Amino acid sequence: MSASLERGLNAFREVMDAPIASFFNSCVHCGLCADACLFHTETGDPKYTPIHKLEPLRKLWKREYTVLGKLASLVGLGETVSDVELEEWSPLVYDSCTLCGRCTLVCPVGNDITYMIRKMREGMAAAGHAPAGLVEASRRTIELGSPMGIKLKAFMAQVHGQEEETGIEIPVDKAGTDYLVIMSSMEILGYPEYLGSLARIFRQAGISWTVSSEAFEATNSGIQIGVSDIARQIVSRVVDAAEQLGVKYVISPECGHAFSALRWEGPNLIGRPYKFEVVHVLELLDQLRKDGRLKTEGKTDKALTLHDPCQIVRRGGIVAEPRNLVNMVASDFREMEDPGMYNWCCGGGGGVSAITGAEELRFKVFRIKKRQIEGTGAGTMVTACANCRNVLEEGLEHYKMDTRMIGITELVAEHLKQEDAS
Amino acid sequence: MADEHSLGELLREQGISRRGFLKFCGAMASLMALPSSMVPAIAAALEKAQRPSVIWLSFQECTGCTESLTRSHSPTLESLILNAISLDYHHTLQAASGEAAEAAREAAMKQFFGKYLLVVDGSIPTKDGGVYSTIAGISNLDMLHEAAKGAAAIVAVGTCAAFGGLPHASPNPTGAVAVSDIIKDKPIINVSGCPPIPVVITGVLAHYLTFGTIPELDDLGRPKSFYGESIHDRCYRRPFYDQGKFAKTFDDEGARNGWCLFELGCKGPTTFNACATTKWNQGTSFPIESGHGCLGCSEPDFWDAGSFYQALSTPITPVGRAAAVAAAAGIVGGAAIAMHNRHTKAAAKTAHQTVTIDDLEKPSGEAK
Repeated sequence: MSASLERGLNAFREVMDAPIASFFNSCVHCGLCADACLFHTETGDPKYTPIHKLEPLRKLWKREYTVLGKLASLVGLGETVSDVELEEWSPLVYDSCTLCGRCTLVCPVGNDITYMIRKMREGMAAAGHAPAGLVEASRRTIELGSPMGIKLKAFMAQVHGQEEETGIEIPVDKAGTDYLVIMSSMEILGYPEYLGSLARIFRQAGISWTVSSEAFEATNSGIQIGVSDIARQIVSRVVDAAEQLGVKYVISPECGHAFSALRWEGPNLIGRPYKFEVVHVLELLDQLRKDGRLKTEGKTDKALTLHDPCQIVRRGGIVAEPRNLVNMVASDFREMEDPGMYNWCCGGGGGVSAITGAEELRFKVFRIKKRQIEGTGAGTMVTACANCRNVLEEGLEHYKMDTRMIGITELVAEHLKQEDAS
Repeated sequence: MADEHSLGELLREQGISRRGFLKFCGAMASLMALPSSMVPAIAAALEKAQRPSVIWLSFQECTGCTESLTRSHSPTLESLILNAISLDYHHTLQAASGEAAEAAREAAMKQFFGKYLLVVDGSIPTKDGGVYSTIAGISNLDMLHEAAKGAAAIVAVGTCAAFGGLPHASPNPTGAVAVSDIIKDKPIINVSGCPPIPVVITGVLAHYLTFGTIPELDDLGRPKSFYGESIHDRCYRRPFYDQGKFAKTFDDEGARNGWCLFELGCKGPTTFNACATTKWNQGTSFPIESGHGCLGCSEPDFWDAGSFYQALSTPITPVGRAAAVAAAAGIVGGAAIAMHNRHTKAAAKTAHQTVTIDDLEKPSGEAK
């Protein structure tokens, strides 16, 4: 078996649900979504208007799900969707959409355009029009265990490294603990200090936790490429491991789409509720702060600004928590323009950072982030998503900016009260 | 009194930033379903607009329309727009009273004859020579006739002014009628609702200031941009209606789960207004979001349309056999279309072949 137009169109029919039908029906062609999309604002090219990215799916809806469309197709009229068209649309559905959700937020009739793009990708992938970068990332996840090809040995090496660094033992596969910590590939590879920071915070707060040798990686390229069958397989690894260990909570790492995958899509993918709860690490840290179990001392007087990761803030609703935590350890925190729910995407979410061919466009649209950062005058930017962080670091490098980046967990751990920390 | 200051100058004097002003223009554009390219045009027109004189007459009413306008959004830009028009007469809001107030009205009517905008809230009693409501000894009927003569256009704010409203409800002891029943030779914009949404009132005024024309109206004289779609079509509970999930009482499981309130008498399907999209109290919520069905207050004769808690599908007067047959046929027809769509989706589900990692590429050499 392999990809074909027939399978792609069949997937379009499968995803066509009441929300999508009413969204297409509701669109008033006002064009407000265009100005909400960084790919449109930074290029000025109308083809990047979010709703336009769905045109092939809309055509199929019109032809097969509306009375007029059905009548037209009966007498041989109306538009059909061709393979050439799907190929042409691939850069619009993948390269230039980070699933950031800003268009959904501004739509005056409430159409969830992001939801539709996510669904449309099911058909694009089944028709063989997913970008090679994402196909390869998915292959590595299925065959090796992680989109970046990280195997258990590499993860364990980082675990031991952080144990040495902090002098704290990191429990592996310890059954019956309260919390299971999972990381994202990017953290394992580039920011392992996240794990050490958590170990120090958890020791202070007295939290029982473990990592798993079965599920150490939380990212889910199945969701980014838009193949639910693959996404289900990936999320099941975490669910199986967590339920086997009998943990009460799984902590989603500082990674946006991993949080979406675990918290929102996961139960729908496997078709049942979890036997544990998913919390984002920011939610947990802020709760510890409220309970007085997270104790810090001193504040940095460096000017800090905050980048809001779309999946955590706009799509995930975690807006106040990162601000509470940053304010706890920083005296000069500066919001960028359009902070919180309306913040602009780093440009690499939704799988875009894995698409090699999209790199030039990604740097182009980074200009909006550049303007936002420069507007604050801050020298350090905090964020809570390892993918955002990596994309932002590349952007800063490309534009030769000297902004420093740090993850929130790390920042908080740097200010842990001394007698409790190592 | 109207003066020479433009709206833009006034807003800046009141501390409204350019950004806040443009945001308002953008919101107005989207509310009026205009393309975003119109935002600069709206901004430019509003910026230059000189404060037109507005005379606001309150007749047989409860002051709810004025309350809606003044309270809910104060002190945002919407309320300042009202400062920025020259509101020369409004007996609830003006400081003057008695003869001084009436003198202001007469002076404005004279000075701006043919140019002022007349806003009316409340219905007009006509029985027994209109004695049931008078202001300064003048009956509402006479005052409307007189004020309408020099008006450029009339905005009937609220369901009473637009359709007769509550005073018009059976048995209508005062012979109350709508503005449009009396005035036939002036353009009339009906901004119905009991009360209307504040932003809808200001939206209509902004449209008038921007284009100098009245907006496109529906068959009941209401601006299509605000009253073009039913509450039901824009309701966030609509997916439950589509799935046939209804709350049966106000405290059953369905009600707690936020299911559709149709069977509890919600008039959303036959009511045209912007509540479900613009919402109330600065976009906080609207009645259905608070767990109560729509009363249909922006529609004519909503008070006489049966109980608020009776489902729309139950007839309020006995219907004939033909109607019952037609209704049955309609249900069957609708169900057939829904069945067919469901069938298309189910067939697609059956045809689903699990997508594995090896299915993401086409066999090489396949013709595109």
